[in-house]
Amino acid sequence: MSEEIVFDCLHAEIVNYCLDNNKKHDLGILEYIGFTTGYRLIERLTREVPRFKDELETMKFICTDFWTLIYKKQVDNLRTNNNGMYVVQDKAFRFLTRISPGTQQLEHAPKFVAFTCGLVRGALSNLGINSTVTAEVQSIPACKFHIEVNRN
Amino acid sequence: MAFCIAVIGKDNAPLYLATSDMEQELQLQYHVHAALDVVEEKCLLGKGAPESKELYLGLLYSTENHKIYGFVTNSRVKFIVVIDSTNVALRENEVRAIFRNLQVLYTDAVCNPFYIPGESLTSKKFDRSVQKLMNGNA
Amino acid sequence: MSRQATRLDAKKVNSEFLTLTYGALVTQMLRDFENVEDVNKQLERIGYNMGMRLIEDFLARTSAPRCLEMRETADRIQQAFRIYLNIQPTISNWSAASDEFSLIFDSNPLTEFVELPADLTNLRYSAILSGCIRGALEMVQLEVQCWFVQDQLKGDNVTELRVKFVRRLEEVIPAGED
Repeated sequence: MSEEIVFDCLHAEIVNYCLDNNKKHDLGILEYIGFTTGYRLIERLTREVPRFKDELETMKFICTDFWTLIYKKQVDNLRTNNNGMYVVQDKAFRFLTRISPGTQQLEHAPKFVAFTCGLVRGALSNLGINSTVTAEVQSIPACKFHIEVNRN
Repeated sequence: MAFCIAVIGKDNAPLYLATSDMEQELQLQYHVHAALDVVEEKCLLGKGAPESKELYLGLLYSTENHKIYGFVTNSRVKFIVVIDSTNVALRENEVRAIFRNLQVLYTDAVCNPFYIPGESLTSKKFDRSVQKLMNGNA
Repeated sequence: MSRQATRLDAKKVNSEFLTLTYGALVTQMLRDFENVEDVNKQLERIGYNMGMRLIEDFLARTSAPRCLEMRETADRIQQAFRIYLNIQPTISNWSAASDEFSLIFDSNPLTEFVELPADLTNLRYSAILSGCIRGALEMVQLEVQCWFVQDQLKGDNVTELRVKFVRRLEEVIPAGED
């Protein structure tokens, strides 16, 4: 879709900006841009949604509804160990579909997933769930996001 | 139309408070403060029952002169509205409408990239719109 | 999939996602650079790069023939705004020589929620837009200048972008601006 191309271009530019920007080759900034976007966006997206009753319900919303709205496809798999660990699997992750598959590209994968890690962490944070989100790319364009809820 | 509209942060710190009656300001603030305990209770109790999942919490409590209503967002920000309890013309769906409008205004304010969530809402645009809402002509 | 969020308008969500992400980038840049003028330049450059990529999509999508004069170019830019940002600027204020015109925006999705702090009046928040036009036209051998004349963020009634034809470029692949 036309708007998606605009976003994909902007995302690519943000990645370049964060990594080229003189001194710091910093994925942290990229993650933070995602965080603040997710934090604000979720405020809008949950406006009409009834109150979540617990962590599981919130996680389900983020990993299904939220994901589908943002990435235009459902996740391929969602699993939890029922102890605060959730794994979201996307076999064709949007920001990885434009790079050619191959092992030499794998080292670049972290920069295409950092924004999304932040996005998910930010959305959860505003909904009251403090988490650590990491991504694992074994073969492009498949990606697994690990969401670990920090309970205390 | 409303005496007082307040936005209270996740950690119960007030983010915004407007009163239409300066003479009663202290008392209204006290009402808002007292309402927070009722909000906490309402959010804890009755898990699972369908009506309790609504963001609109309804009438929290009333006093001789005031009725205090509450609303909580999914991000756990609370809205408190105090109205004149002698005003029988004000119906509940109008109170609901105030909250719905307030939620839209709040969300827009959160989406301003220069606003840092959790800080006081100092936006003039937000304040103007809430004042209008308070005077019943949003 | 549960029922609630699916009721949300997908187009609106796309647009807000873009708006919020752009806002996060702008505020990050303001932290990264001391000088606001540097932020303006960076945003313009990002737009320029995006324009160079978007024009390919635009040409493929519309199979538009080469523009022979600026009036046609103006129409295509208008069309591109409709396709990519779902807004339709008005074209007006042509210069006598027909080499310069304005795009007038009643609304700008990028600034939908933005309230500019008082100390940032020299920030060109939407500089990405002018960069985009410049980058896209350069790919079709048109060098233009593009700047903001009015901006709703600064209290103007409309946002006005001015586009001025500079020259036609030789048929070579332009080097990236890095």
